[in-house]
This record gives sequence, C-alpha cells and structure tokens, in this order.
Amino acid sequence: MTKKFKASIERYNPDTDDTPYFEDFEVEYEPGMTVLDALLYVQDKYDSSLAFRWECRGGQCGSCAVRVNTIARIACRTKVDPDADLVLQPMQKMPVIKDLVVDMTQTENRIRRIRPYVARDKPPERPEIIHSQDIEILREIRKCIECSACLSNCPIVHETWDYPGPMIIRQLARLELDPRDVEDRIAMAMDEAVYSCTTCKLCEDICPKNIKIPKLAVELLRAKAVEAGYPLLAGQQIFVDSMKKTGRSVPEKKTPLLKDLGTEEFLVENPIGRVAFFTGCLIDYRMQSTGRALIEVLNRNNVDVIVPKEQWCCASPAFRTGDMETAIMCTEKVTKIFEDAMDKYDLDTVIIACAGCGKTLQEDHRPLIEEMRGTPPRFKVYDMAEYLIDVVGMDRIVKPTGELDLKVTYHEPCHLGRGQSVVDQPIELLKLIPGVEYIDDPYKNRCCGAGGGLRAGKRDLSMQIAKTKKEYIEATGADMVTTECPFCTIQINDIMKGTDIPCLYMPDLLLESYKKGDEKKTGEKRAKAKAEA
Amino acid sequence: MDELPYKTILCDVLVVGAGGAGCRAAIEASRLNLDVIMLSKELIGKAHTSMAEGGYNVSLGNVDPDDNPETHFKDTIVGGNYLNNQELAEILVNDASERVFDLEEMGALFDRTPEGKIAQRTFGKQSWRRTAYASDRTGSEIMITLVEGIRKESVRVFDEIFATRLLVQDGRIAGVTAIDLKYGDYLVFRAQAVVMATGGAGRIFTVTSNAQLDVGDGYAMAFEAGCDIIDMEMIQFHPTGMVAPESAKGRLVTEAVRGEGGILLNNKGERFMNNYYPEVMELAGRDQVARSIMTEVLAGRGSPDGGVYLSISHLPKRIVEFRLESMIEQFGDAGVDIRDAPMQVSPTAHHFMGGLKTDTNAQTTIPGLYAAGECTGGIHGGNRLGGNALLDTQVFGAIAGGNAARFAKEHERPGVDRKEIQKEFNRLEAMLKRKEGISPAVARKELTDLMWSKVQIFRKEEEIAYAVKELKRIEKEVVPNIKVDVPIKRFNPGWHQAIEFGHMVITARMVAEGAFMRKGSRGAHYRVDADPDDDGYYNIVIRRGSKGEMKLQKEDLVITKIPPP
Ligand SMILES: Cc1cc2nc3c(=O)[nH]c(=O)nc-3n(C[C@H](O)[C@H](O)[C@H](O)COP(=O)(O)OP(=O)(O)OC[C@H]3O[C@@H](n4cnc5c(N)ncnc54)[C@H](O)[C@@H]3O)c2cc1C
Ligand code: SF4
Ligand code: SF4
Ligand code: FES
Repeated sequence: MTKKFKASIERYNPDTDDTPYFEDFEVEYEPGMTVLDALLYVQDKYDSSLAFRWECRGGQCGSCAVRVNTIARIACRTKVDPDADLVLQPMQKMPVIKDLVVDMTQTENRIRRIRPYVARDKPPERPEIIHSQDIEILREIRKCIECSACLSNCPIVHETWDYPGPMIIRQLARLELDPRDVEDRIAMAMDEAVYSCTTCKLCEDICPKNIKIPKLAVELLRAKAVEAGYPLLAGQQIFVDSMKKTGRSVPEKKTPLLKDLGTEEFLVENPIGRVAFFTGCLIDYRMQSTGRALIEVLNRNNVDVIVPKEQWCCASPAFRTGDMETAIMCTEKVTKIFEDAMDKYDLDTVIIACAGCGKTLQEDHRPLIEEMRGTPPRFKVYDMAEYLIDVVGMDRIVKPTGELDLKVTYHEPCHLGRGQSVVDQPIELLKLIPGVEYIDDPYKNRCCGAGGGLRAGKRDLSMQIAKTKKEYIEATGADMVTTECPFCTIQINDIMKGTDIPCLYMPDLLLESYKKGDEKKTGEKRAKAKAEA
Repeated sequence: MDELPYKTILCDVLVVGAGGAGCRAAIEASRLNLDVIMLSKELIGKAHTSMAEGGYNVSLGNVDPDDNPETHFKDTIVGGNYLNNQELAEILVNDASERVFDLEEMGALFDRTPEGKIAQRTFGKQSWRRTAYASDRTGSEIMITLVEGIRKESVRVFDEIFATRLLVQDGRIAGVTAIDLKYGDYLVFRAQAVVMATGGAGRIFTVTSNAQLDVGDGYAMAFEAGCDIIDMEMIQFHPTGMVAPESAKGRLVTEAVRGEGGILLNNKGERFMNNYYPEVMELAGRDQVARSIMTEVLAGRGSPDGGVYLSISHLPKRIVEFRLESMIEQFGDAGVDIRDAPMQVSPTAHHFMGGLKTDTNAQTTIPGLYAAGECTGGIHGGNRLGGNALLDTQVFGAIAGGNAARFAKEHERPGVDRKEIQKEFNRLEAMLKRKEGISPAVARKELTDLMWSKVQIFRKEEEIAYAVKELKRIEKEVVPNIKVDVPIKRFNPGWHQAIEFGHMVITARMVAEGAFMRKGSRGAHYRVDADPDDDGYYNIVIRRGSKGEMKLQKEDLVITKIPPP
C-alpha cells in the first residue's frame, strides 16, 4: 500500500476571506518526493486553483520558496518526510496575493535601492582580462537564484527593511568583490545597516546554493569597512578594546572564575576521559557558578577536567564586527594556550559551553590557523551536550536522578545549531532529567537577537528581535526555557522579565537535578539507617 | 457578448518574454530612449533561460587559437543538416563575440583561462573548444546578468502577465491582449512595435527538460495572427535527461558531462556509441546520440529505470566538482553521487528548432512584429548545436530590440479593434463560466501523452497521421469545452492552464503537420519509414489560411556559402 501523509496548506484569497486558514489534504507519498511534488499533487488532484509558484523544478530559477514547517525553503529541493505532517505557508514579510503566492514588489524595490549592477566609469576593453583568482569568492556568492527564502527567514528583515536582508547584502558583497565595479560599496554597506545582522546563519542554513552569507558577505563587508577606517559602533568598540588589553571582552566585576578556582586540575578516580575547559569571557567574568556547574557535571560523569588558568577571549566580537587584526591576535593566543594544555596534561579535547565561542573556534580559528601555519589547531572542540551524548555516550552517562517537576522548552543558540550542527544533543540531555516534560518549540532555532555585536551595538533592534522570540517562547506554554549560551541566557532573561518564565543555562539545570538526587539519596540512606537502627 | 472591463497600457516597444532573448531585446530598445515594457508569465529572472547549463558558443579561439567564425558557421550548418537559414547563421556566428562582451560589460563572469580570458570547453559536433561557460550554470549566470542589466535600464517590467493574443491592425502589429496573473485583470498593451521572445514548447511532451512556462504560447499566438512559422517538425530530443525519480523525469543532464569526458554504457557495461558513431563517440550530434540510446533501450540493453548509464567516475573528483557543480547537486537530490556512481539517462524533449520565421532584421512576416530566441525558427536548421541557443538569444535579442525600437520611432502607434479585444476576453471569461466541461489537467495529460507516444524520436507515417487526426479532434471537441474548476480570477493556476491549453494544441498540431509532410529523415526529424526519394533539403512553412486552417508549404533553403552535399 502506498504511504500517505497530511499536507496542511495555508489558504487565503483576500477578495473573499478575512483571514488565512489551513486546509488539509491527503497526499500519496512517492520515494524522493519534494514539497513541490506534493503541491502539484494537491493542485492536480484536489484543487487546480491552489496558488503557488514554480518553473524549473530543479533549484535553478528561484520561484518556489514557501515556508515548510515554519522555515522558508525552495519547494522543489526540499524533501518530504512521509512520517510527519507537512505544514506549508507563504513566505513572511511579503504580503500574500493568494495562498502561497506573495507580492514581491517591496523586495524588488529594496534590491533596486542598492544599484544592484556593475557600475562602470568607462566602457571596458574588449576582451576584458579578469583573473580567476580575483573572482574566486565572487563565484561562490554569485550563485544566488534570488529565491528570497532567506529574506523571509531573516530575523532582522522580520523587524525592519532598514536592513536589506541576506539576499541583498550578498549582492552588495558581490559588487564590492567585483574588480570591475566602481561604486563605493563599503559606504553603501554602512548606509544599508550592515551592522544589523546577528550572524544567526539561518539564511546560510536554508540557502539552496549553500552561500555562506554571514561570512562571505556580512563579515567580509564589515572587515572591509574597518579596513577603510569606519569606526565600530560605540558599544562594540568597548568590547574589542577591552579584549585587546585584558583578554576579556567585558570588565571584571566579582572575582573571575579562573582566579577563584585555585587549581587547574579537577580529576576523578577512574576517568573515562580528560578534557580542557574553555570558559569564554562571560562564564569567567559573569557566570562563575555556571562554570563550576559544568566542571561538576563533567566530573560526575567521570571525566577529568583541566581548566587552564590563563585563558583569552576567542575574539568572536572582533570576527563578527570585522576587526581582523584583533581577531588574529586572539586566535593565536587561544590556540597556543590549549595546545600547551594538551601537551602538559596529555589530552586532545576542548569543551566549550558557550555557543558563540564554540562556533568561533570551529569555524573561524580552524581555517585561520590552517591558513597561517598549514595545519589547523591540534585539539578537537566539543560543546558540552555534544560531548556528553556523543562521546561519553548514553550507556556511560551518569543520569541525574533528582526530579524537577517542570515543563521545559529549549532555545537553540544559532551558533550551536547552525554554527556547530549540535541540534538534538541538548534536548536529549534535557529529557534525561526526571520529571521534566520537554515541550518542542517549532521556532526554537530562531535568533534571540543578541549575536553579531547587535546587543552591544544596536540595543533597540536587538530587543525588538528578542520580543519576537519572547512571543514564540510564550506560545509553547513552558515553565522554563533552557539554552546553552551565556549570551542567549542573558538576552532571553532580559526580555522575559515580567513573565514567570526564567531562562536557565543547561549545566545549571543539570546540576540542580544531580543535587536534588543526592539529597534524595542521603535522605533515603538516612531513612534506611534510621529504620535499621 | 458581454462588455468586459479592461485596462489599456501604452508603450513604444512591447517585449513579450523575459528570458535571455526578451531581456536582451528590452535592454537594447531602452538604450535607444524609448518607453519599453517587458512582459513575462513568471517573476523577473525566473525564465527558462536560467536553467541552461552548459554554455554559450563563441569562436574566440582563447583555448584553440585556430577557431574562427567561419568554422563556427560550418559546424552550425553541418550540425543543422544544411537546413539552416544561412543568412541568419552568418549573423549568429559573427556577432557572437561582441554579444558575449556585452554580457561581461553588464557584469557576467564566465570561467577564465590562465591568462584571464574567457575559458572554452568542448561541446558536441564542434571542431574546436568553443563553448564559454560559468561552471554548469551558464544560463543562470546569463539570466542574473541580464536582470542586473534590466535593473540598470529604464525598462518597465510587467512580470506575471500572460499575453493571450496578438492584435493586428491593418496588417500591422498593434499590441497584445493579456491577463494579469496576480489579480486576474484583463489588460491590453499597445505599442508601435512588438518583440516576441516567448521561448519554446517542450511542455507539449510528457517528458521534457523545459520549464513550466514553455508551452508554446508564442508559436500559437503568432500563427493565429497570420505570421509565417517555419521548421516546426524539428524538435530536439536531448539524449540525456534524468529517468528517476519519477518527479525528476526529463530534467536535463547537461551535455557538458559528455563534453568533460563522460561516457555512455549499456547494461552490459559496453560503451555502445562505438557501435554507432565510433569517430565521435559520445560527442555525436544530439539526435544521433538520442537515437543510439533509444536503440539500446528498445533492444533490452537499458538500465533498470529505462535509460542507459552515463559515467564520469573515471574523471578526477576535483574537475567534476569545479565544472559540474549543478549536476552533483541535482543527482545528490536523487541519492546518486556522480563522482562515484553512474547516472541513468534517456532522451527528453528539449528544444524547438522551428518557430516564427524571421529575416536578418529579426523581423517576422507581420510588419512591426520582431522575434528572437527559441520562439524563432530557421537559424538552427534540423538540429541545434549545444551552446548555440544561448548565443541565439543574445545575438537576435539585440537585433530584434534595436530594430523594433527603430521601427517604433518611425511609425505611429496603430489603433486596435475593440470588438476583437472583447471577443478574446469573452473567450477567456467563458472558461470560468462554463458549468460542464473538461478540466485542463486531464486535457493536458491527454495531449502530452499523445505527442510523446506518436510524434517522438522515431516517427512513423500512421502514428503521425493518427496524432494529426486526434489533435484536430481535440481542437474541435476539447478546447472549446475547457472548464476551470474554481471560477475565480485572482492567481488561479487552473485558469492559466486552461488558457495555455489552447496554445499547446495549436503548437502541437503544427509539429505534427510538419512531421507528416516531411516524408524523409532529416536532422532531428527521423522517420522509421523514411522515403528514400525525399532528400529533405527544404523548409516547411506554416501559415494560417483565410478560414483559419493550417496551410503548409515547402520552401527552398536559404543558402549563402555551403550548399547541401
Ligand atoms: C535544461 C536546459 C538546458 C539548456 N542548456 C543550454 C546550453 O547550455 N546552451 C545553450 O545554448 N542553450 C541551452 N538550452 C536552450 C536555451 O536555454 C533556450 O533555448 C533559451 O534559454 C531560450 O531563451 P528565450 O529567451 O528564447 O526563452 P525563455 O527563456 O524560455 O523565455 C521565454 C519568456 O517568454 C515568456 N512568455 C512565454 N509565453 C508568454 C506569454 N504568453 N505571455 C507573456 N510572456 C510569455 C516567458 O514567461 C519567458 O519570460 C537549454 C535548455 C534547457 C531546457
Ligand atoms: S545571518 Fe541571520 S541576521 Fe544575518 S542576514 Fe542571515 S538570516 Fe539575517
Ligand atoms: S542567498 Fe540563497 S536563500 Fe537567499 S535568495 Fe539567494 S539563493 Fe535564495
Ligand atoms: S521551481 Fe525553480 S527553484 Fe524551485
């Protein structure tokens, strides 16, 4: 028998309907079926007036983007999962014309605002000599088929068209990189609010052409802006200055974790592994207890933890804002500190509990070091949850036993999910905690607005994005939201003020359950001893 | 007849179509300071041209210095089985380099040689490495560039507008009737000159490499308006289309795969092209390779899904990754890693060599009506060389745009026949009002299956005759009874398909009638029962008779340099 699945499609004809509504259709599954195939099936079989766009059915024309289970993607290259319902909606930000067809007028206007063509001040020689090496990166970012899916997903565009969005900022970078274009595209990028992007990577993640927009467009334009002498935004400059001087992006308040710990070595009796802990600035200076919690959680799982005393900022703020000089300096320092620790303590793994730092070490440090000296850093980098689930493994993990009667949802940090492909592990960890009811948030991977220097540099916009995030979280009905990044934790706690939904950092929640479990055990022991006596 | 409300929009030059040819024509016309409107059924930049993969032919001699327009001309004529209009083919090869430099000036980036010139690759039936490319997304590169070009010029872009009929006034073109796909309004566009750049009609066949929009509106509208149409029986079946999964059936596997060294194998692992065209092997003409593949399949030597194998796994992965990135992606979606495993391929309806008959000014037989790109006929003769179609769009797009603009400058805008307009809109309205009738999806399937089974690669007298008879029946019984299931005008694909269907039937019949008249095998037209006395050195021209009938007529070839052997 052929397998069937349900497709819920948002229908809307503004001539006759006041609001959009969902209509469900049963679709027969065929192996290899794409979302476009499903739409065509519905159109042919049930309703020929179902409106959606398509042309090439092969990811070449960019006509067919729709929201598939909340995220915009091109329909013709998105595979259907026959075991789940399929929810199809029109792209966001663009007004609906009918069903899944949206009005692209504003998008077209927005593109035209950047003079989106190679501007020349004289006709070129014929033939024109252009060398391959001068157009290599350009070739990458030129593959865009203007499907607009990334615009629909971008958290900044969602709030404001002041920022032109990934597709269009990419076109600016394409023109900046083109040796033939004579416009001052850097000045234009400043005018086009290039510092608004949080580098959340949602655009990159869904791009049918795999264009690394945050890196190849946003950060590239920012780096060129810094090179051209444009100052960083006031809030961002403080970070970078501080990082250069002290190795920390924020000023000291209470005693930093590294100073307070007293020792580098947290060893257990029969270790199953040994790791070095990279704290990052915020855990060291602001969230000391979370740092301790992480060490304890790892120790409880029979892992030796080494915490090098001298640590340095990963330079994420410098990478994100374009200050490459500082970025390179910090990268070299961090690599040396942890390679020394490797040699001294005989280990090869570095654990990070900050999504931003982890992403920076993986995606920025590695290629940079490799470019500079021919070989990448010698150590492996893991996120805490990833290490516990994938390396320690389910059979060796020491499960927390203290019951926490909570409905918990999860916010996936952009730089963890899309930055390091760590998606399921934190949720699996959460589910290990007795009493916790995990509530999935279909919007869990949407940006909280803190990253990319936005919280520091453009607080208003940052909080606007956070407000949207708040709506998503509230809609889950959870008692608590957890995450694995200090930045997200601070940002979400900020925006959730006034609600009774706190945001907790994952190691803290885990430790709470472990401790409660201890109490239970000692309580039981005591009771047992008492009974025996 | 009801008085239906419509809006009239004026311009100097109207370009119908926004693919490679339409955009190029619009840019050219707007540079001559005229008010230009460009219409398309799809959003700007999404035209079929964006799907072209392999490249653009131009005898720059950057890689093989001995190449020149002369050789390009010869290859084009020999490849076209001498049926090409040689006056047009000369223009095609001579203007090739200036048009590719135009594209670069607008911002295109073709892959480079070590000296920084445009790199060139091998394509079928060419004496030298001549095909300029941007990996295997050359069409996309050209489309993106032209969109950048359009955004720079003052062309008025009316996208998602469907032209349904050409308006002719006192023998001159006067404009078109159209519907706005978004909101369903009826529109009339009036202009002094019109450029048709409506692309091909692969979609009249069940298995095709073409985009949704390629249903042959242009051929049908031009025929109805009384324009001469040439070579409609000449349809290129590209030898390598995907066969699986079902939903990807027909999608193109670019010739660049064979150009880069891909080999064809049957289920015994034999490189069977050795048995058919041992000198040129996989790089024989597209028609030749297509027939060789079908012969293998019909003899039971095919792959499990009914194709043959195409393999490039013997090539260095680095080369495959750099030069065939779209193919990696396309087959990756189907679960095949082409760096290691062979692809399964079989022929797919790909290109219309025939179309509106034009002269060296890109002028059709209706004054004021110009045409360019795949909707025209004559340039490619019996078989188009890979890489010559993108070239065609640029060379003749520029000529058509320029001449349309000059014509528009020299003439007043004609009036229009409002009765004719009302009649057309009433016809469209009737599809929505009909209570009983045939749904477009059903009708379309019947038509495409008929064409795919009876007027395909191997053609037979009785089968073609049957197709002609059926098509006449469909024209009489089905077309007037097409009924849109949901009677609304706002973005209603059912309505769009219903309107298209009428055009598809006319186009299909021109193909079948031409194929019936041509008794011998020539070019892409292969008759299993070929009449040995028919040398085939003529063109077939179709024109509308006074009662609306299809009149076919053989015409002499236009020869300037190379007579047929
Ligand atoms: C998969 C594939 C790969 C190819 N690869 C190559 C290659 O490598 N090299 C090469 O030279 N050629 C190649 N070709 C052929 C080439 O792509 C086409 O011949 C060429 O792009 C046609 O361009 P065009 O401008 O004539 O028409 P199209 O790009 O088809 O555009 C037609 C335009 O007309 C509009 N239109 C049609 N009807 C109407 C109407 N009724 N009202 C309003 N607008 C209308 C459409 O909306 C569209 O904008 C390939 C073809 C395919 C299918
Ligand atoms: S990284 Fe996120 S914020 Fe930046 S452009 Fe992409 S989607 Fe928008
Ligand atoms: S960048 Fe990618 S996702 Fe965005 S419009 Fe271009 S192709 Fe689509
Ligand atoms: S239909 Fe062309 S990209 Fe999906």
